[in-house]
Amino acid sequence: MTQRADQTRPGDGPARAYDGPGASSAVRGINPRITAQISYSIDSTIPGEWHLRIIRSAIPAGRVTGFQTALLDDDVIFLTADDVSDLNTFGCQIADQVVLTREPKFVGDAIAAVVAPTARDARVAASLVEVDYEAVPSVFGEMDAIAPGAQLVHAKHYTSESDSAYFDMRPQDGTNVCHRFRIRTPALQGRDEPEVVPHLDDPDDALADAFADADVIVDEVFHTPAAAHVPMEPHATNAQWVDGRLEVTTGTQTPFNMRQDLAHIFGLAAEDVRVVVPFMGGAFGAKTFIRTEAITALAARKAGRPVRCVLDRDEVFNEVTRHPSTVRIKLGAKRDGTFVAKRIWAYVNTGAYADCGPGVAQKMGYAGVGPYRFDHVAVDSYCIYTNLPPGGAFRGYGAMQSIWAAERVVDMMADKLGIDAVELRRQNLLHEGDTFCTGEVMHDARFEELLDDAAAAVGWEKDGDRRGKGVVVILKGMQTPSKAEARIELLPDGRYEVQAATADIGQGAGEMLTRLAAEYLKVEVDQVVVCAPDTDRVPYDTRTTSSRSTHMMSRALADAARDLQVHGTIGHGYVSNDGGLDPDTGQGIASSHWHQGSASAELEVDDETGIISLSTLYACSYAGKVINKHGAELQNEGSMILGLGTALFEELQYTEGQMTNPNLSDYNIASALDVASIRHRVMEVPGGEVHGLGETAVPPVPPAIGNAVATFGYDVRDLPMTPERVLAARLGDTFQSPTGEDPQ
Amino acid sequence: MNLTLNVNGRAVDVDAEPHDMLVDVLRDQVGLTGPRVTCGVGLCGTCTVLLDGEPVSGCILMAPLAQGKEITTIEGLPEDDEVVASFDRNHAFQCGYCIPGMVLTARDMIDKGHACSREEIREGLGGNLCRCGCYLKIIEAVEEAAQ
Amino acid sequence: MTWHLPTSVDDVVRTRAERPEAPIVAGGTFLGILVRQGLVEADEWISLQRVTELTRMHSAGDLSVGAMVTHRRLELDDTVRTIWPGVAAAFKAVASPRVRNRATMGGVLADADYASDPPSMLVASNAVAEIASVRGTRRVPVEDLIIGHYSTSMEEDELITRVVVPRPTGAAVYRKLRTRSQEDRPASSVAAVVHGETVRVVVGAVSDRPYHFADVCSQWRPGDLDSAREIGEEYASRIDYIDDNRGSAAYRRHVVGVEVRRALMAVAR
Repeated sequence: MTQRADQTRPGDGPARAYDGPGASSAVRGINPRITAQISYSIDSTIPGEWHLRIIRSAIPAGRVTGFQTALLDDDVIFLTADDVSDLNTFGCQIADQVVLTREPKFVGDAIAAVVAPTARDARVAASLVEVDYEAVPSVFGEMDAIAPGAQLVHAKHYTSESDSAYFDMRPQDGTNVCHRFRIRTPALQGRDEPEVVPHLDDPDDALADAFADADVIVDEVFHTPAAAHVPMEPHATNAQWVDGRLEVTTGTQTPFNMRQDLAHIFGLAAEDVRVVVPFMGGAFGAKTFIRTEAITALAARKAGRPVRCVLDRDEVFNEVTRHPSTVRIKLGAKRDGTFVAKRIWAYVNTGAYADCGPGVAQKMGYAGVGPYRFDHVAVDSYCIYTNLPPGGAFRGYGAMQSIWAAERVVDMMADKLGIDAVELRRQNLLHEGDTFCTGEVMHDARFEELLDDAAAAVGWEKDGDRRGKGVVVILKGMQTPSKAEARIELLPDGRYEVQAATADIGQGAGEMLTRLAAEYLKVEVDQVVVCAPDTDRVPYDTRTTSSRSTHMMSRALADAARDLQVHGTIGHGYVSNDGGLDPDTGQGIASSHWHQGSASAELEVDDETGIISLSTLYACSYAGKVINKHGAELQNEGSMILGLGTALFEELQYTEGQMTNPNLSDYNIASALDVASIRHRVMEVPGGEVHGLGETAVPPVPPAIGNAVATFGYDVRDLPMTPERVLAARLGDTFQSPTGEDPQ
Repeated sequence: MNLTLNVNGRAVDVDAEPHDMLVDVLRDQVGLTGPRVTCGVGLCGTCTVLLDGEPVSGCILMAPLAQGKEITTIEGLPEDDEVVASFDRNHAFQCGYCIPGMVLTARDMIDKGHACSREEIREGLGGNLCRCGCYLKIIEAVEEAAQ
Repeated sequence: MTWHLPTSVDDVVRTRAERPEAPIVAGGTFLGILVRQGLVEADEWISLQRVTELTRMHSAGDLSVGAMVTHRRLELDDTVRTIWPGVAAAFKAVASPRVRNRATMGGVLADADYASDPPSMLVASNAVAEIASVRGTRRVPVEDLIIGHYSTSMEEDELITRVVVPRPTGAAVYRKLRTRSQEDRPASSVAAVVHGETVRVVVGAVSDRPYHFADVCSQWRPGDLDSAREIGEEYASRIDYIDDNRGSAAYRRHVVGVEVRRALMAVAR
């Protein structure tokens, strides 16, 4: 199929007209994304709409005591928390948010809004509103917020009815911990333990016997900062009310969660909310769950007309971030290298609202265990409120933070044992049929091939000189449980329309769906069109996140194609992956299939400036069977490039809770100048199942680089590994070189 | 202020003040969606337009500065442009938001002979950011188009 | 609003003298950011886009660069690249081709942006700015022009018309240290230019303005590593450093010593 599609090359014939979102792809004609012949969310408008500007809190915690609005023009509509009294609270896993708040919990929290005829009018109006506050004490660091007696960000804990809460919450009363997740392998269950471990030097007496057989123990702490998604297209939403029905056109990865959440907020039946998703100019997790949609819908209701909201770049930065984290890992091994036990404490800073932080805590918990066998595993992950902007879904989330720590610790163990770091990994890898710490049995395990491939890419020789080289191997999970539906309809003109909620973020969903449907229907790709995700037209899908879409939709579409052959004009397909983990023991099914990957790096460090020069950065991700070769390569390359920025320079900075670098001058992302060293592989296996790989190569990149840097004596614990941190890791904060010799 | 701009080969009358940036005038008054605002400080290149054939940042170009110049956006490239075709052949895009700016920048590099090596291509494209991370394929596409 | 389009320098300075509040628009790359963000507002603007005399460049003898000559032109000009390679390198190091296509010689000096690449090289090269007003013309060494954070010694009604860079008699090196993306602005910017037996070392992007210490440079023994190290350490100790996303004050202080030493060893090769 792939070959047949490739024969339809642009340039072979005249470019075809583009006929609707999703309808075209690289499979026919010049792709309209190249020539701007498609509409993104930001290009979508509703005639007659007014413009919304959000007024945001200037303090990290406290109360709004009043607004001065005397300077506003008469026609400007002004909204405050008074306008949300009939609305329900929301939040995808914990309903801890209101559409406009009286009690802001971070700098940037939405406290009011103005609606005016033009975007410029709205901007001017927003600048004319003055706000009076009463501040209360605030807390920003995850370890400060979990400390006994810390200021509480929320006075009480909430729950959520949303289907995004796919596991039971374990809020800890009287603390900022809104969810605690634990893994305890069988022998460690049922102990008398403290509910919350707030100290990084806790002796862990209750589980100390897990390490009884260990000859060597490495016990270290690592940190990752907040980071920004930086979708090139900002959040853009248009909303209107038509005969009591809410219609929202918005860039979202979660159309059905959005419909459910909006219905809940406004007290509507789900069918009375329509969510239409145009193309998105990138999302990376930033466009998940309620962002600008509820406030825009509220404004449209009050204005009695369509309303549009487009965020400024600094607002995009503050809207949602990647969770900062502190991770402590204790690894025990026998002298021969056999791993005995692993203990993880993961502290996830979810900011002012939980969003999907509880899920992140869970993923951090098991991804940090890694693809290794242990007699005993115990994990405690805490999702902790602070007064920073909320953390949310982020390409590779959870896994990245704990794998940074876990894979650095494996190298530290290798050093301590005097065993080659690749061999130590090999000796302990999970193989087909082995049991993971969650009790699930590994299937389609490819870790050894991945490890060997990454090692070979940097010329790793067993027990050879490894200066400047680092190799890692990882696993990460996919959203589980999860379900997907798809429909295929035979159109009057003889073409087939795929109706599916998978949003085209830019990852090539349209092409993926087109190719899959054509394959299952045994027709040319020209005969398949894909309709835009529109909750009025497409069936339910959990969401476009966690690299789940290709894996889930391939099976739903196959089911739909079979059904179509039976029923003639419309075929329905449905798949569900059961599973989930017990929040207190971590036993169950963490992931219906595993994302498996490896990475390696070869580099030099300038020992006077701390600057890292990469000669090779390599990643290998297991794809099983590839649907779209170019798309798979692009996803793998993109993940590595994000991983590179994460490793070397991406970091949101705050002063008293105020983000100080919410722009692309002060917050750098990787450019074409940074990628010269990158090579990679998407690993296919004959007869393999379809695996997602939208983010597999993000988490292994930072520790691959970190392990290589550490070989020169720079033991960097905090990401990103800026030249300054590298140098300070050996020389201390004053950077006094012991030699002062010029290396040149 | 009334300005006449030459956009993609035709004269367009617009009403723009010095505080209006060219990209907004092109989007709001000329109806073009190829130039896009991302960073708003001239760093990322999604707002790239050609001014007399040279790429500039439309998001920080005060509209009157474009008077008397030929403005070219992605919409103004010929249908059979070889850079566009090469981006398509090489699948050098994901979300596509940055791609018009990439194509226009590459067009100028190739026209002026500044795309002779991968090193030179990386340097020329350094100021055009792509968060999807399509750089490797974009560099290949430009290299191929330059040949 | 009024967009003035004078066509000669005389025209510009007269227009400006009558409207001291009207911003002068050259390439507009820095001003455009400020205007977009609402930080600069005005009813009248004076654009240099039609002042053709400001776009002249001569390189017979010294290099004379009109205020409206773009960074891109300096970067690509064959004569500049051959005879003033340090100048070409410093202008090439600025941002992207998009910015360099617009940004001008006059603009980069008038803005006095601490983190721009060219100022340190222009100071090291003994460049002199020619400044015009209704009162006439005066010449100011670039070293005395940039006096602080985004601040110059120019009077409100003055206009930079051209910059003269003497023909070099020795090697020139520009070292840009980036601590994040390779696309980033400098965390430190060191220019070293040899003039006969002496050297001018200038350090930018680490403080409010470029710094040059003639008394320290006078101690230079060409090619001597100890001398280069001593000068680096002396430079490092004399500057009051900024602390930002590109590096802490302590880190900058450390790398300035290293970068100055490396620049001095490079110009002596």
